[in-house]
Amino acid sequence: MEATPDCASKPCRIFEFLESSIGKKIMVAAAGVLLCGFLVAHLLGNLLMFVGGETFNRYAEALVSNPLLPLAEAGLVGLFLIHIVLSVRATLANRAARPEGYQVYTGKGARTPGSRTMALTGTLILVFVIIHVATLKYQLGGPKGVDLFAHVLGWFANPWYSIFYVLAVGGVGLHLSHGVQSAIQTFGFNHPRYTPLIRKAGLAFAFLIFAGFASLPVYFGFIHEPALACCPTEGGSK
Amino acid sequence: MNITLKVWRQKNASQPGALVEYTVKGIVPEMSFLEMLDTLNEQLIARGEDPLAFDSDCREGICGMCDLVIDGRAHGPDKGATTCQLHMRRYKDGDVVTVEPFRSKAFPIVKDLVVDRSSFDRIQAAGGFVSTNTGGAGEANAILIPHDKAEKAMDAASCIGCGACVAACPNASAMLFVAAKVSQYALLPQGMPEREKRVLAMRAAMDAEGFGHCTNEYECEAACPKDIKISNIARLNREFFRATLISE
Ligand code: HEM
Ligand code: FES
Repeated sequence: MEATPDCASKPCRIFEFLESSIGKKIMVAAAGVLLCGFLVAHLLGNLLMFVGGETFNRYAEALVSNPLLPLAEAGLVGLFLIHIVLSVRATLANRAARPEGYQVYTGKGARTPGSRTMALTGTLILVFVIIHVATLKYQLGGPKGVDLFAHVLGWFANPWYSIFYVLAVGGVGLHLSHGVQSAIQTFGFNHPRYTPLIRKAGLAFAFLIFAGFASLPVYFGFIHEPALACCPTEGGSK
Repeated sequence: MNITLKVWRQKNASQPGALVEYTVKGIVPEMSFLEMLDTLNEQLIARGEDPLAFDSDCREGICGMCDLVIDGRAHGPDKGATTCQLHMRRYKDGDVVTVEPFRSKAFPIVKDLVVDRSSFDRIQAAGGFVSTNTGGAGEANAILIPHDKAEKAMDAASCIGCGACVAACPNASAMLFVAAKVSQYALLPQGMPEREKRVLAMRAAMDAEGFGHCTNEYECEAACPKDIKISNIARLNREFFRATLISE
């Protein structure tokens, strides 16, 4: 047996890995799990909005004045690019693998709402991320000349913005309802005792991410009294 | 009882096919699904029409030839069973049943419901074996194998290569088949000398045939007539990752 004779050297082997179906999936999963880490950090920061406008603004200020931030941002963009490029290539290859589909395709019930909609929820997340970064980070549109907390509140006051935000983080939750356990299986971990637990934990994680992010537009957009919202602070992030 | 069949008819690989409706009369519950198709063919031949082409061989669930997608399910509605193990007692008079071939770019249609699965043979030939000089049979207890490993290897080796995993996978991925074949050797001492070479070669052969990527939909496991577990796919991923890192 001659194992891929054209690929005897190490760098070639690594390239072969990255181009292989399994290697691509492992990279998508690795980037996805690291993005989950980002989501947790981002959510914890955002939840400071519940503590108070001043605390949130101070946190944001500390973040943007950190000289390492551009590095972290570049890493984040890199993760998104790896995740998106490889998952889109995998999805296209999968479509090509069955050029003529079934007239009736019922299956035996293993698929989940999350697994069926990965490409759809992924696209929704991408659209949301672009709008999200444009409106909240680069502050295109929305109230001008106010601190970050007031700016975010201004956006959440727009019900369409808040509803889209909730739908989009719902998409993130659906993406992760399949993604978390899928990534762990892709990494090669499957165990008769732990895998059922991992699947439940993945669902719980997905739900917490959804509920955590959704709580902000729901509370500040629909429940919170705008009159109490404003709290002129020293040192906004702008 | 009478059954209405909607069956995929296609003259050959280059001509387009379509579902054609037939009413099959005089079916008894004791018939197998394949015997019901035999009955249809007798009726077609009696009318002077071209009989339906479909594969079968052992008709007892061990050869993996009877590849049909029945009402959108590979090997029909039952769990852990091949099409030839499906019986008409599952159906009642007047039922409408759709029958299609396994669909994958790597399983081109030959005629009607018959597909060419030689892509599986090429993957197997790339590494699904152990190279050993056969002499007299060795002493069976000379190589110690832990019981749980032996069981897992036997479970993986029960794959009959029917291709239902590919047919059922939304991505037409062959990962469960390749995982079973890699696992049955990776678990046993006899498979160790060629462990890395094997997984690298079989992965390359699998991708070269144009099968899709695994996205962990687990429909393969649900459709497998031999109940091959997706833990084998996890093992394949580990084996491939490990071989990439350590093989020269
Ligand atoms: C916060 C952002 C995101 C997170 C945390 C995330 C997380 C994940 C995880 C954990 C997986 C599972 C990997 C696996 O099955 O091995 C996954 C799969 C996937 N992601 Fe994302 N993702 C994010 C954004 C996106 C975006 C923006 C897109 C596309 C535009 C996308 C498209 C996909 C697709 C298509 C898959 C399925 C790939 C496959 O099953 O082969 N994701 N994601
Ligand atoms: S004909 Fe042999 S398995 Fe069905």
